[in-house]
Formats: sequence, structure tokens, C-alpha cells
Amino acid sequence: MSRIQKAFTYLALSIWSLIAIFPIWTLIINSFKPQKEIFSNPFGLPQNFTLEGYKAVWLKGNFGTYFLNTIYVTVISLALIVFFGSLAAYALAKWHSKTSTALYVFFIAGLMIPIRLGTIDLVRIMQMLSLQDTIWSLIPVYVAMGMPISIFILTAFVNTLPKEMFDATKVDGASEWRVYLQIVVPLLRPAIATVAIFNMMKIWNDFWFPLVFIRAEKSRTIALGVSLLFGQYRTDWTRALSTLSLAAIPILLLYILLSREFIKGLTAGAIKG
Amino acid sequence: MAQRIKKFYQEQGIWILFILPALLVYLAFMAAPLFDSMRLSFYTGKGYTPTEFVGFQNYIDLFTNPIWRERFLGALKNTAIFFAIHMTVQNSLGLFFANLLSAEFKGRNFFRTVIFAPATLSVLVTGFLWTLILNPHWGAINQTLKAIGLDTWAKPWLGDKNLALPTISLTSVWQWVGMPTVLFLAGLLGISDEILEAARVDGASNWHIFWKIKLPLIKPVIGVVAILTFVDNFNAFDVIYAMAGAKGEPGYSTDLLATFFYRTGIAGEHPIGIPNMGMGAAIATITFVILMTGVLLWLYSSRANEDVA
Amino acid sequence: MRSKLFVLVMLVTLVLSACGGAAPTEKAPAAAVTEAPATVTEAPAAATEVPAAATEAPAEATEAPAAEAVELTLGSWRVDDVEAWDAILTAFKAEHPNITINFDPTNPPDYNATLRTQLETGTAPDLFFVRSFATGLELFEEGYVASLADLPGLKESFPAGALAPWSTAEGEPFAVPIAAVSHGIYYNQDIFDANGIAVPQTWEELMAVAQTLQDAGVIPFANGTKDAWDINEVVMMALIPNNIGGIEGRMAYLNGERCFNDADMVAAYTQIQNLAPYLPDDYTATSYYDSQQLFVQGVAAMMFDGSWSISAFEKDAPEFNWSVFAVPPAEGKDQYISFHMDAAIGMNPATKNAEAARTFLEWLESEAFAEAFGNGVPGFFPVSNNVPTLTNPVANEFLSFNNNAAGTDIRFVWEKLLDSPEGAPSTYTVMNDGVIAVLAGEQTPQEAADALQEALASWYEPAQNCK
Repeated sequence: MSRIQKAFTYLALSIWSLIAIFPIWTLIINSFKPQKEIFSNPFGLPQNFTLEGYKAVWLKGNFGTYFLNTIYVTVISLALIVFFGSLAAYALAKWHSKTSTALYVFFIAGLMIPIRLGTIDLVRIMQMLSLQDTIWSLIPVYVAMGMPISIFILTAFVNTLPKEMFDATKVDGASEWRVYLQIVVPLLRPAIATVAIFNMMKIWNDFWFPLVFIRAEKSRTIALGVSLLFGQYRTDWTRALSTLSLAAIPILLLYILLSREFIKGLTAGAIKG
Repeated sequence: MAQRIKKFYQEQGIWILFILPALLVYLAFMAAPLFDSMRLSFYTGKGYTPTEFVGFQNYIDLFTNPIWRERFLGALKNTAIFFAIHMTVQNSLGLFFANLLSAEFKGRNFFRTVIFAPATLSVLVTGFLWTLILNPHWGAINQTLKAIGLDTWAKPWLGDKNLALPTISLTSVWQWVGMPTVLFLAGLLGISDEILEAARVDGASNWHIFWKIKLPLIKPVIGVVAILTFVDNFNAFDVIYAMAGAKGEPGYSTDLLATFFYRTGIAGEHPIGIPNMGMGAAIATITFVILMTGVLLWLYSSRANEDVA
Repeated sequence: MRSKLFVLVMLVTLVLSACGGAAPTEKAPAAAVTEAPATVTEAPAAATEVPAAATEAPAEATEAPAAEAVELTLGSWRVDDVEAWDAILTAFKAEHPNITINFDPTNPPDYNATLRTQLETGTAPDLFFVRSFATGLELFEEGYVASLADLPGLKESFPAGALAPWSTAEGEPFAVPIAAVSHGIYYNQDIFDANGIAVPQTWEELMAVAQTLQDAGVIPFANGTKDAWDINEVVMMALIPNNIGGIEGRMAYLNGERCFNDADMVAAYTQIQNLAPYLPDDYTATSYYDSQQLFVQGVAAMMFDGSWSISAFEKDAPEFNWSVFAVPPAEGKDQYISFHMDAAIGMNPATKNAEAARTFLEWLESEAFAEAFGNGVPGFFPVSNNVPTLTNPVANEFLSFNNNAAGTDIRFVWEKLLDSPEGAPSTYTVMNDGVIAVLAGEQTPQEAADALQEALASWYEPAQNCK
């Protein structure tokens, strides 16, 4: 890269990074200030450092439980989404028939209806399965919700893979299952990383289904716990911002941890050729 | 006969087995509940399980009763604007960032991480933060504008009927720009170095390389991004609900199809709060038909393109 | 190779069945009586109070032997009052040691939707807050709220006016009213003193005060319209009773003896127009919470608001003296107070513990509850006949309005006018839109009142034949 190009790259990216980080920064530093200082000194470091907000929120909600619940739900759902989604996407991309086109369209159609429409039926299904009020009620819904977008993205990626790759292994007499495991999955890494991250955010932050499926304190997720506490502390900004920080920080950390994998997946898996 | 079954299994059965797990979960926990609920658009009554069959009356009302029609057309128009802003601003920014980030330079992993970071946050968080930042009395934006002497630029961003929708759309762009960036980036990284190298040897400018070589090569990705932007934003709900409420204040100027659906079918109009799920289902079904038409057109045209290529 | 596929399918089935299989064991503790952490900490306190409670409430002795420990849930939209309600419910438990009630609120914007989902699928709380008039009545008519026609003491404990918002047209009650809210103008006494301003007695004086404050560089009123509902509910509907002559005036509209665009209604919209210059700059982007902050920070001198905000203001501990005065009537008109029936508690007919739930509902009639509630959640006024003495000074200030006024009335549109059929304009929304349009100068008060009349005339018979 020429020097001018480099300077431009850094400048443009730095400006946007500031814009991206500024609100998050405001959130976190202000959660350590007493309410009056939030208004008098909204952007600086706290002068009257306080942990009162976090203390109050921590004592009020069972964040340890919320956190574990959310982790279980997210991890199990993601594993199933990625597994089911990539299997189906591979099949849909490679199987050329009227049935496969119809199935593909059928899956994609799920992207286009607000899922809230089906709430009542879903609550009834969960009751039938006696999953009501447990975190297990969330997983099948999230896996189902994740199917359309995952299949859409993954199929698109499989379609960009060169046909020769599959044909070569086919000649060796490898089964489709082996082709999937040994060829498709490694090649799909960037797309799988993308799908996992997209779905992770949706699942982690969803509070509608926890709201209607779950009442018990011990089954609450972070998003639900936070939305209730946030309602309670709406006028107490130190506590409100502490609540929101507690919602934001774990997922941010999780993302930063995963993002190395995510970016590695993007780069390493990129198909040269 | 047995032969044919065997042949079928060898050619197709295996694929069905591959698709089955996804299909079963999707059918049971999404498609069936949704399909069953769409049926409600032919019924009327109060609550979530209306029982009085009215045929197409809900649809007719939606298009002919001035009360419904005004809200419906307003929401449709706002949704189109909301989508258009994402399509142009968010996706051009995403392509721009992806192009910068696809080069080799120090710190690019940092920037890649940062650009996507806002997307990990819940809209509850980002909506509250942006209403704070846009607040006319103590928000950062207006304070900064006033500090540098641009007092006339300090506007009631979320209170002005003409500004509220673009403002909220841009905060949503801020949050989600990482998505197209990542998808474009994956596409750009997939382009072989030899092709780019060969172009450089031929003396092509960066500008030329971007428009004439990179862009055509990531066409499939552009298609994916476009269609995702379309379906995501035609169903956008959270950001409006968090920043402008279920009624799309001020004066319905930010009311989208999804908030209209939510208000009608799920929450009911303030302060009574008695939902009309029949009408709600009709709104959702029409949204679905619009989206499905768009997507099928896209699928059809991309298939047609493939054949040409 | 095929065997691998079977392994895969088996795996999937296993994972799915593992999720399902785990469920019953997961579910059991959720339903168990000992679950709520709150109970654990409260239990000792309750235990020590048992003897006292037993001597105080001999009536309980008859129930005690039969009673088994039960746990009930009370749904509500009052997320702000969690601590106060925990205290109230502890007081109840002291009298009824076998009944534990957990307060389980939902954020107000989500309350109607979640409650309805739960009611329609049979997962709703045993007891829940019921909104007044159309909303509550609808739930009752659909069979989601139990009739309380035979609840002992209900009709003796409450005035008819308090029961009406939660009764059918035939007078069958379905919820125990717990609270009314009042409306007024909060003001910063320090700013008033510094500018030599006395509490205004008439609308004209109020406008003069606003002008004085504005000249002194203070925002006169903190109110805004970003959230829309507040300008309608705490401003417009607090202005209306003074202009139309309280409940008698309102009845005349409801009976078709007056039209909704008569001179009095236009006068109410005109007062809205009077307020326009005295709202904050950018009031269109000022939310309800922003308004409260402007007042609490001393930036704005006055704010139209409801009595429920007392505790929010107290929590913020403003660095100045503050109080509240009644919305003053125009010169020559009588003072009326917007005193609105706000909340009642009803019983889920599907509850498994109807007996315990009814015990609680009866307790809501008692002075003990009125006392605990009135003082625990200042600004919500118990509506039973045994009105307790309140300790909060601002709450008492609100109550004093009622004694000095010609009368009180609920918010204008709540009774009957909210019942517009599907596809007809919502009265509430038409009024709300009109108020905002008048403030913005897009409509004259007359045009806004005409729009109200026209909207009502489209479905409300008395409005079609009004004089």
C-alpha cells in the first residue's frame, strides 16, 4: 500500500471506530458515576467513582444464574443451529431437484414473518412438552428461528465452492457424509463463524420468548433479568446504566474472545482459487 | 420397483436425511405455529385466538377503511424508507470498510473487531444509549454542535416528524454495519491474489481494480447482503420500539410494518390494550407476501443470471 | 458409511431427547413451594411476627387449621414499586402465615401482551393488577377474571364510584380497587421564592407566573411530547375537569346534552395552546423521563405530572424545596380535580388456590392494607371507605386538593369513550393527536375540538345527536 493509501485507511477506520466505541464508552464510564455527575460531566472519567449501581443491581438480580442460563441456551442452540444448518445447506446446494428448490424457498420464507405472530401456538407447544418455565423451552425455538438465516447464508457459500472439489472426492468413492465432514465443514468455516455470531447475538439478546415462556427466577436469562431491572431503575440512571452494562459486557467480552476465531475463520477459510 | 427405490435413495434419499433434522425443528417450532397463526387473518374477535370467521374482511378493511388504510400505507412507506437507508448507507459503508479491511496492514484485526462490536449489543442497550446521546437537553450531539457554534444544526432529532425516521435508521446502521462488512470481507478475501496481482502488473488503478475486478467477483455476496438487508429491515421492530415506542412517535412518523403489526395484533392500542390478532395476522401476512415476492424475484433473476454466465 | 449417518441421527435424537428428558426434573423445583429466594429471607421475620398476628386477627383462627402453606403470584405493571410491595406482602403474610404471595411485575409496555398470553394459555399469575374500564371489562367478559360478586365486605368497604370502573354495567364487580391517582403541577419552591411568586389560584395567574419565570431565564414547564401519552394524560385530562365542570359536565357530554366541540372543550384546547410558549425548547424530543429530569435538576420550575411520581422525585432528592399545587381553573370557574381510578387487583379464575387468593382480596379491603399501601407507595391513594392517615407531605398536599375543590373526576375519555369499535378512530388517540397539533400550531383549538366531535360522531350515538 502506498503511504497515502495507508493514511487514508487508518484515518477512515479510526473515525468509524471512535463512532462505534463512543456510545459504549459513555455507557460504561457513566455507570460508575452518581446520577448528578452523569449530567454535569457526561463524557469524562468519573470524578466521584461509585459502585453503588452495580451493588444495587447485583444484590437485586441473580446475575450468576442469569448468566449461566444464557450461556447454556446460547451454546446448545448454536451448536444445533450450525450442525443442522450446515448439513441442510450442503444438501440443498448440491441436490438439484424441484423438491430441493421448494424446500429451500420454504426455509427462506421463515425470514419473512414476525415470529411473535406464532407466540400463542409456541406457548401451547411448550406446555404440551412440559417445558414451560425452563430454559429448555427456549432452545427449540431458537434453533428453529436460526434455520432460515443459517441455511440462506450457508447455501450461498456452498454454491461459491468450486464444483471440482466435490467431484474429486466423489471419484474416490467417499460418501456424502464424509465429503460433508472432511471437505465441506472445513471450507465453510468462515460462513459457519458468521452464522454462529449472527445467531449468538440474536439468542443472547432476545427477551420476548423468555418473557412469555418463563416466570421462575431461576430460569431467567440475562436479557429478561436486565429488561425487568431496567424498567425498575429507569429513573435512576446510575443503576439503569449499571444494569445495561451488565447486559453488554459479557457479550462484548465473549465476542472479543470469539472474534479472534471469527477473523481467523474468515481469513484461513477463504478459498483461494 | 426395489431397484427404483434403491436408485432414489442413492440419488435423493441421502439428501433428505441431511435436510431432515433442520426441517423437523423448523417445521415444529416455527413453520407450523406461524402458518397456523396466518390462518387467523380470516377471523375477527378480541384477543389472540379470534374465532369469528370473516373471510377476507380484514384485508378489505386494511385497504379500504380510511383509519386502517392510513396507518397501513404510512407504515409501508416508512418501512420502504427505512429499508432504503440501510440498503444504501449501511451496505455502501460495509463495502467500503470491507475493502479497506481486506488489505494487509497493522491493526486490521483490531478494526475488524471494533466495527462489528455494536452488533453484539441488545437493542435495549443501544436504543437507550442513542436516545441519551440524541437528547436535546444533555445529549452529546447537540452539546457538541452548540459548542462549535452550529446552534442551528442542533435539532430535536427524535421529536421532528421529518428527522426521526432517518435519525433512527442511522443509529440502526451504526449498530448493524458490521454485518455487511463481515460478509463482504469474507467475499473479498476469497478473491485469489493472482488475479489482483495480474491486474496490478497490467497497471490497473485501485479504483479500476475495485470496480472492474473485485465487485464483479463478489456479486453473489452482494446478492446475499441485499436480500438479508431486505428481509431484516422489512421486519425491523426492536429499534423503533426502543427509541420511538410502539406507536412510532412522533405522530406515526416512524411507524413500521412490524410496529404496526405488534400494536394491532399483540399489544393493542394504548391505553386500552386489547389486541386484534385477526387484523394483526392480516398485516403480517401482507408483509410476508411483499417480502416473498421480492425474494422470489431475486432468486429467479439470479438463477437467470447464472444461466447466462 | 451409512452406519455413520445412523450415529448422526441417533446423536440428534439423543440431544433432543436429552433436552426433553431433563425437563421434568427441571420443572419440578419451579413449581415447588420453597423456590423463591425472597421467601427464605422473609421467613424468619414472618415467623417472629406470628404470635402478634395471631392475637390481632382472631378471625384467622377459623381458617388456620384447614390452611396448608400455599404460594401465589401477583402480577403487576408497577415495576417501580417492587420494594414497597414486598413490604406490603410481608405484612399480609404476618397475618396469614400460610400464604406467601410473590410480587412479579412486568414492564408497563409489555404488561398487557404478556398477561394476555398467559391468560389465554393458562399460565397467568393467580392474582393480577387489572386496568380500569374497557381493558379490565374486556378480560372479565372473556372469562379471564373471576367474578367477585360474592366477596364478603366488598360493597361495604368501597364507595360505589370506586367499584364502578371494575364492574359490569349491571354492577357485578370483578376486581378490588386499590388505588386512585391524582394530578397536579409540581413546582420548585425555591425558584418561586427567588422570583417572588405565589402559588397561582387561576389559570390567568398561572400564565403570568410562567411569563415571569421565562423572563427570569427559567423553563416554566418541563413537559414535552416525545412519548405523547403524558401530554394527554397528565396535562390535557388534568385541564378538562376545570373547563367542563367536573363529573356533571362530563356526564352531559356522555349523554349527548353537549357536543364534544362546545365552548368548554375548545377552552381546554385553548389552555394547551396557552402552554406552548412555556414548554422547553425541543419539547417535541423531550420524553416523560426527560421532563422529570428537567424538573428535578432545577432547570424547569414546574411540571404537570401525576401523584405517582412522588417517589421518583423523592428518590432523586432534588437540592431544593418542592411541592405541588392543583391545576388552577380559569377566572370565574370552579376548581375540579382529576382524580383517576387507576388500579385494582383481580383473581385468575383458573387459579388452583382460589381460597387463598380470596383471603388476600378480602385483606385488600382492610385498613391494614390501606395503611401499608398508602404509605408504602406514596402518590397512590387507597380508595376504601376507611381512609388511613398518610404520612407523606406531598401525598397529603394532593389529597387536600380534593377537600378544597368543587369535585373530583376521572380522566375524561376513560368511561365509555374508549369503547370505540374496531376500525373506528380511538378517542384517546384523536385527543392526543389534537393536543400535539395545537401545541405545534398545526391546528387551532376549534379544529382540534371539531376533530374530536367528528371522531366520536362516527360511532358514539349521543355524539351524533348532541345539542
